[in-house]
Amino acid sequence: MKTIDLLGLRDSFAEHRVLLCFNGPISKSLIEDIGNALRGYMEAELAPANATMDVFAVYIEMAQNIRHYSRKRGDSDLTAIATLAIAREEDGHYAVSAGNLVDPEDGERLVATIEALARLDKPALKESYKRRLREPRCTDGHSGAGLGLLDIARKSSQPLSARLTPQPGGRCFFSLQATI
Amino acid sequence: MDDLCIPATASSPSVSAIWDTGLVQLAGDSYPENSYELFAPLIAWLERYLLREDDQPLKLELGLLYLNTSSVKSMMDIFDLLEEAHRGGRTLQVTWHYSPRNERVAELAEEFREDCSFPFAITPLNGN
Repeated sequence: MKTIDLLGLRDSFAEHRVLLCFNGPISKSLIEDIGNALRGYMEAELAPANATMDVFAVYIEMAQNIRHYSRKRGDSDLTAIATLAIAREEDGHYAVSAGNLVDPEDGERLVATIEALARLDKPALKESYKRRLREPRCTDGHSGAGLGLLDIARKSSQPLSARLTPQPGGRCFFSLQATI
Repeated sequence: MDDLCIPATASSPSVSAIWDTGLVQLAGDSYPENSYELFAPLIAWLERYLLREDDQPLKLELGLLYLNTSSVKSMMDIFDLLEEAHRGGRTLQVTWHYSPRNERVAELAEEFREDCSFPFAITPLNGN
């Protein structure tokens, strides 16, 4: 059996100034628990209240988008596998990232959506957000990933960055980062 | 007799609606995965209440702290319902109480208010 290089993982987290990270199947209650830990951590660090709210909000939308995606595909609760990391950059900004495996065509659509959002300024994002809010819900009662992405883009101080990396087995790893 | 009382959970707010007084209160965080399920009973209650023939006023008191986009959508449905009733002549008012430490929720309330013509107060809580 291979020994896990914990020190290597630790060094990588330290290098990227990771406050909190998670990798594995994510349930509704885990989203709540990690969110509470995140808020507690930022409050203890005396982070500005607005930054704490924005980081929490972006984290929730990203994590719930991953669960919605996996539910839409018909995966069981256990297979909503997410990789999440929240880091504090040297300049004081927070980077919230989330990734999951997606079908290539879904990933390409997401990347195109995010690239289109990156071209919009704040007033245009607000207008799109308000328009999207008034669109009908998906059949399962969820508001769809579009509204969450718009909300994330509005809270981010820099354009969102997305990456799609092909994986063995034909699927792709989609990752999204927002800077607060 | 037709009151609504839903306790808060980690990701959903407490909801209370009193038929005799017309007082509706929501407080706490709201980030359920499916807000439609959570808000459907309240929306149904409001629809019934706003059809009352005695025109008793409706008072919506909000102490919501954080809303995910799914909850924002449900709140918009509620405000649309109130707007329609207001235009139809019903007396109603909304007050959103927020802690001055939580500017984000005041900004969110302000965005909702942009689309409403009924009395809508956004009030900082005293103290912290």
